[in-house]
Amino acid sequence: MKKYEAVIVLNPNLSTKVDEFKKDFEKLLKDNSFSIVKTEDIGRRQLAYSIANHNKGHYILFNLEGDPSKLLEIETKIKYNESIIRHLFLVVKEHNGTDSSLLIESKNKKSDTSESVSKTESEELVAEEPKNEDVAEESTNSEEEKENE
Amino acid sequence: MSKYELPKRFDYKDIDILKQFITETGKIIPARVTGVSASNQRKLTKSIKIARFLALLPYTDMHQ
Repeated sequence: MKKYEAVIVLNPNLSTKVDEFKKDFEKLLKDNSFSIVKTEDIGRRQLAYSIANHNKGHYILFNLEGDPSKLLEIETKIKYNESIIRHLFLVVKEHNGTDSSLLIESKNKKSDTSESVSKTESEELVAEEPKNEDVAEESTNSEEEKENE
Repeated sequence: MSKYELPKRFDYKDIDILKQFITETGKIIPARVTGVSASNQRKLTKSIKIARFLALLPYTDMHQ
C-alpha cells in the first residue's frame, strides 16, 4: 500500500459532466482496490499554456491509497480517456489534511467575483451620474454659445 | 535575513510561493541570486517542474 496524490485536468467543455466523470473515476479506482481519502474539486482554472488547444482546464485533486502494481492499469485507462487532457500521480509520504492552496484560491475567487459584480454595479451607477452632469453642462454651454452668436 | 518567503513544506500547489523563484520569462532563478540553501533549492526546483507540467506555471513567456 502506498499513498498517492493524483491531479487530473479535465477538458473544460465537459465541466457540466464533472460529477459523472467523478463517479466513473471512483468506480475505476475501487475496481483496482484503491481507496479515496479525499477529493478536492478545484474547478476551472486558466492554464499557464494551452494544452491540446484548451486555454482552461478543470482541475480535480485526489488523495489515494492503493497498490503500486494496480496503478499501471488505471493509467492505461486514463490514457485513452479523451476528456482528460493531463494527469499526474505522485507518491507522497503523508497526506496533507488541510485544503490545498489551489482550492482556497478558487474559493476566494468565487467569493471575489460575486462581490466584484455588486461593486461594479454600484460603480456603474456612480459613473453614470457625472456623465449626465457633463451632458447637462455641455448643453448649457452650447446654449450659451448660441446666445453669444 | 531573506526577503523570500519559504514554506515549511514545498508544495507544487503553492503557486504564489513558487512564483517568487521564477523570472518573468519563466526561468528558475539560481540559488546564488536568491540565497536559498542548496537543499531548499532542490525541493523548490522539483515542485516548480511539477507545477509546470500541470500548467500551473509557464515554461516560458513564449507560449502562444
